[in-house]
Amino acid sequence: MIPLESLTSCFQGLIPSWLYTCSRDGVPNVAILSHVDYVDSRHVALSFQFFNKSKRNIAENPRAKVRLYDPDTMRAYALRLRFVRTETAGPTFESMRLRIEAIASYTGLKGIFKLLGADIYEVLSVEAIEYEPGLPAASPGIRTQVAETRLPFTLKALQEISDRIHQAPTLDCLLDAILETLENIFGFRHSMLLLATENADRLEMIASRGYPEGGVGSEVRIGEGIIGLVAEARKPIRIAGILRQLLYAAAVAKSAQEQGLKATHRSIPLPGLANPESQLGVPLLVRDELIGVLCIETDKSYRFHEEDRAYIEVLGGYLAIAIQNALLKERTEEPEEYSTVKAKPVAPSIKAERQPKIKVEFYKSDECILVDGEYLVRSLPAKILWKLLHEHRDGGAVEFTNRRLRLDKTLNLPDFKDNLESRLILLRRRLEERCPEIHIAQSGRGRFRLELGSKVELVEQP
Amino acid sequence: MAFIESGLSINVGSRDSELEPDGVVAWAARVHDDRTQLTIYLHKQAAEAMVRNLRVHPEFAVLLERPTTHRGCQVKGRFISTRPAKPSERAVVERQAESFCADLEGIGIPRALSSCAEIWPCAAIQMRATELFEQTPGPGAGEPLR
Repeated sequence: MIPLESLTSCFQGLIPSWLYTCSRDGVPNVAILSHVDYVDSRHVALSFQFFNKSKRNIAENPRAKVRLYDPDTMRAYALRLRFVRTETAGPTFESMRLRIEAIASYTGLKGIFKLLGADIYEVLSVEAIEYEPGLPAASPGIRTQVAETRLPFTLKALQEISDRIHQAPTLDCLLDAILETLENIFGFRHSMLLLATENADRLEMIASRGYPEGGVGSEVRIGEGIIGLVAEARKPIRIAGILRQLLYAAAVAKSAQEQGLKATHRSIPLPGLANPESQLGVPLLVRDELIGVLCIETDKSYRFHEEDRAYIEVLGGYLAIAIQNALLKERTEEPEEYSTVKAKPVAPSIKAERQPKIKVEFYKSDECILVDGEYLVRSLPAKILWKLLHEHRDGGAVEFTNRRLRLDKTLNLPDFKDNLESRLILLRRRLEERCPEIHIAQSGRGRFRLELGSKVELVEQP
Repeated sequence: MAFIESGLSINVGSRDSELEPDGVVAWAARVHDDRTQLTIYLHKQAAEAMVRNLRVHPEFAVLLERPTTHRGCQVKGRFISTRPAKPSERAVVERQAESFCADLEGIGIPRALSSCAEIWPCAAIQMRATELFEQTPGPGAGEPLR
């Protein structure tokens, strides 16, 4: 028998599979499968989402056959199966559930497009189908393209990322170093880091790479989309062949509407790439505490292998520790004193001369700041900016320390793990993207400087 | 009828005496004028094992689906006969296979991969359709179509 492990490419969900069953009274049935999951060297799992004919046949007659395709060569394989059991919990079920729910949340199908069970089948035989041999052995064009998409998850690569991250002097540099290294070593050109915030129900993007729009400050609710589900389950999620799976979900949505079931109207926009082909979300965990989520996207179909899962989890743990260490280090090295340096006149930019005054509005009820009517930032970063601008206007202060902000009761920072450093980085990056007239420049360890390239009018709204 | 002959993903299911299911891929389908019979074209090597089943147990199922929309139907029926496909039928088979490969590009499967399958020579399997079912995935899948 061909070893099941040798068919890992077939289990990526890049090409549909077919399931053949037969009722007790001998009527065959054919069904299309979005994904066949590898369980171990003797078992596979098929998703059970609807009580359909295949499910009824299997209840009567446990024999089944699956036709799989290798997405690299289109070589076809036939697996003869026997149904063993349906799992509704455990690692196989969870991994399948998360992938299906991520797709469901992108299409507004939460609650309809869901996993009811993971049907576990014993694999009795694996045969290559002779008359569907796929690409001949030497097809250099396609095979080179496939080889390039293989992830280089190796211990050497992890060692290299570790070395580079160790060299980052500050949290700010570390965040960029992580994403830069992911591109240079692993070839991931589109990635983003989201960190847990003072709001327990959401994450905020603090750094991204490969997206023209940046997107710092974008929020993702826990449990929504691949990032929110990774945060909720604290498990990595990988989705390959997203386009095909979204089309499948869209067909379910249409069918559900025709059956009188309503999809929720709230769909979560895909982060970053307009049409990603693969997404990988990695939880950043330190001793069960969620620090954030790393999300990687590609416009190619990466072939994630089972052994990659362990490397991905190790990488997530390592990045989480590196970020948390950088946060703690910056806090312990903060200066004790508070400088009250008065503002020096800053030469207004050409843009500032054309637009001499910007209007900064703080909405108290939403804890949200708008600049010239455009949303800038909310929650703690908004309160920090409002405070800095007030102190600058009232007392001319330009130099601030993290320590002073931390001790300021009006900001309501928690006594422990306040994440102030990461919130300041988010604020600075958000200003760079959306309001370059206000600039926060790091002027030393635990110290920063407020620079204004324009006059600022402060308006407090209820 | 136009949908069935439009160049779809076609999979044919059969079973043996032990109720062991089997299935093969087909390349084209033709609906007869009486609208109750179908001819399915599949590679002759694929047809050999299937016809062995069908001669003893004539029940069959054909799943026809468009990959980009997942719109599909399943025809259930009984085997009537088999014969080698005629050279004059080759153009019809290749046209439907070509249309199917073009649709596969829409779900990210490059032509270089999909076009490597061996299509010809084909066997033509004639079947009588008795039931037609909705196969678009979702809560209505498996319901009879009228």
